[in-house]
Amino acid sequence: MEARALHPPLKGEGRSALSEAKCDPGWGVAESATPPRLASLHSRCFASAFIEKMTAAEGRLCPPPSAEGEEQAASAARAFAPFILLALSLFASPASAQQPPPRQTLTIGYVEIAEDPRYAPIRGADRIVLKTRAHPYAGAEVSIDDAAALRRVLPVDFALARISVKSTAEVAPAVLQAIEKRDIHFFLIDAPAPAFAPLAAAVRGRDALMFNISAPEDSLRRDVCAAEIVHTFPSLAMSMDALVQVLVARNWRDVIVLEGPLPADAASAAAFARSAKKFGARVVAHQRFKAGTDPREREQNNPTLLTALNRDYDAVFVADEAFDFARTLPYRTQRPRPVVGSIDLEPVAWHWTWEHNGAPQVQARFAARSGGRHMESADWAAWIAVKMIVQAGLRTRSTGFRAQRDFVLSGAFDGDKGLAVSVRAWDHQLRQAMLLASPYAVVATAPVENALHRTNELDTLGDDAPESPCRLDR
Amino acid sequence: MRHARSHVIVGVVGATVLLLLAFVLQATAKDTGLIFVSNEKTNNLTVIDPKTWKIVKDIKTSRRPRDMHFNADHSRLYVACGDDDVIDIVDMGRLEVTAKLATGPSPETFAMDEARRRIYVANEEGSSLSIIDMDQNIIVREVPTGGEPEGVLVSQDGKTVYVTSEVGDIVHRIDAEAGIVDEDVVVGTRPRRFAATPDGRQLWVSAELSGDVFIIDRHKFEVVGRVEFLPPGMRKSDVTPVGLAMTRDGRTAYVTLGHAAHVAVVDVASRKVLAYVLVGKRAWGVTLSRDEKRVFVANGFGDDITVIDAASRRAIISIAVGRVPWGIAIDD
Repeated sequence: MEARALHPPLKGEGRSALSEAKCDPGWGVAESATPPRLASLHSRCFASAFIEKMTAAEGRLCPPPSAEGEEQAASAARAFAPFILLALSLFASPASAQQPPPRQTLTIGYVEIAEDPRYAPIRGADRIVLKTRAHPYAGAEVSIDDAAALRRVLPVDFALARISVKSTAEVAPAVLQAIEKRDIHFFLIDAPAPAFAPLAAAVRGRDALMFNISAPEDSLRRDVCAAEIVHTFPSLAMSMDALVQVLVARNWRDVIVLEGPLPADAASAAAFARSAKKFGARVVAHQRFKAGTDPREREQNNPTLLTALNRDYDAVFVADEAFDFARTLPYRTQRPRPVVGSIDLEPVAWHWTWEHNGAPQVQARFAARSGGRHMESADWAAWIAVKMIVQAGLRTRSTGFRAQRDFVLSGAFDGDKGLAVSVRAWDHQLRQAMLLASPYAVVATAPVENALHRTNELDTLGDDAPESPCRLDR
Repeated sequence: MRHARSHVIVGVVGATVLLLLAFVLQATAKDTGLIFVSNEKTNNLTVIDPKTWKIVKDIKTSRRPRDMHFNADHSRLYVACGDDDVIDIVDMGRLEVTAKLATGPSPETFAMDEARRRIYVANEEGSSLSIIDMDQNIIVREVPTGGEPEGVLVSQDGKTVYVTSEVGDIVHRIDAEAGIVDEDVVVGTRPRRFAATPDGRQLWVSAELSGDVFIIDRHKFEVVGRVEFLPPGMRKSDVTPVGLAMTRDGRTAYVTLGHAAHVAVVDVASRKVLAYVLVGKRAWGVTLSRDEKRVFVANGFGDDITVIDAASRRAIISIAVGRVPWGIAIDD
């Protein structure tokens, strides 16, 4: 029924082992001077190319595949399996000749909303596309690829089941169905905030763990506060704390706040004000803007007028989810001051230019998976979520859900951005470093160097235990 | 006829002169004690005089030079260059790059087996180990590995190659002749580099993110011990071990601790840390001089190297080099 039924014997061997890069022996290899072994390299490349195709077929099959397409792909797999096995057997190790342990497949659900407006492209005037956006599914795929290297030490294969629903209201029923009918226990939830309260109610007390990979809202951590949900995407509070920490570290303490008309803009502005209070920055003016050119509304739509104060300030914070106004703000402020927030200096969980902690290799694998996209925060949140599940299997040596869940909630993980990431016991937010990124560089990281905390510096970002109304640890 | 003979004579004399010259150059290249530092961001090797600690030469390389190894007679220095997918070969007589070997994508570290004429290169981005024939300059085999392979070590008999996978948290054991992984062992988070005890029994592996060194029994191929580190005044999260070096008698190991800016001196038998030596920011590459009196450490975020006196376990000098120094090789 699922894609995983297509190719249990091939999984892992194909993906981990073989990629296009390896099919090109490079310019050092001359056909004429080639020892006989190179022939086997070529034949493996054939197998590799073939398996890549199969993987692509799987991608097309999910979400809910048409019965016909599924049949075709399945029969194709059956027809070609002997050839692939033959090709792979050329490289089979002596160890694999022994009786292999029975393998299991751990399937992770990936639930998304079809036509989710959060992934619609952001356009400027005249249909110019300013930002293309995509579901972070490729981030999860990269972690599945990474896990394939573990097949010799772990008798478990990992797979994704992509489940696409039409609205936020359908998320909870789809998850329930997958738990009951497909025996799936781990889910990546790629849905906006309103999906989570019903979801939390539906899965309460069940053997299931949801990963919120794309919703930043603090209310999910503070009010929904569900034991069955882990938030790998940073909370708004964490993002704003990170931004303010960096501003204060530079002694840019006096900030104008410009707030857009959307509810998300109000939430960001409020979170920024809260962070400013927490770390000793000052909001010297708080203006509401309205994108447009109407001269009667120039007090609200003109960047220069909005930033003309009788006093000096160090930076301008703009909260503009629509991005229409923010993109026109830099270089139009009344004083020559940097713009931060929705543009120019943004707090993010991930940035494609981050060059430490192995990040460039993650970005490269992601680009190969996603057709050349730059890896973004939600992609990272999906990648680390799957990685946590894989690590739980690897480190607990258990196939039981509860042991794996307990490890996810208590373990420390390599997020490729410095300090190890781990789940906060009180609200299940993943504590993690934040990157402060300009368009082409990571300008700073948070926590900043002098942000001190009695147990873990990462807890200077977002709701620390004493501040959080959510106490899942009690 | 006569004309032809004079040509032959000139040719013979010329060849003799060239041979002599080559011999002299090679002779002068031996045991110079020169210190070679690979700089990832400035695409060069900084060459330092061991007596004056002065920079005497700057060798341009392909982009992003990282791991370096000499051949047995030290006539050549091999340098893996990650952004050009090659190993540069530095002629030690001329102190310049005179040849290149193709590798897989983003070569980081490698090991050489001159007896079998093989170079084993971990390709960080290709997730593979390239096996290169040194004489034919071709890749004879690509062994698929876990994500981001890094450390490479060849057994003394040349039959086994060990490779770490940073993403997989595993060490692969590879049959060198067959070119296949025959077993894996799970170690700490983000395993990096190796050192082998001279008795051939143990393999030490640094694990950067879990902040420790894992000790593998090579016969049983399983983890039998672990060394933890915590220099005074440092947080556990700063301890990111990468570089490993062991003395020839197998008694002492040196472990660079990355962001914790120290080198740990470890007693191999008892697995106890004897001392922490303060060095520079993000200490990675570590190399011992042949007499093992000096320990050289590359400080990646300090753009310098630190020289440690092994007897007193104190840093004696830090020398500014290029940007983001990766590793050190010594011609002694």
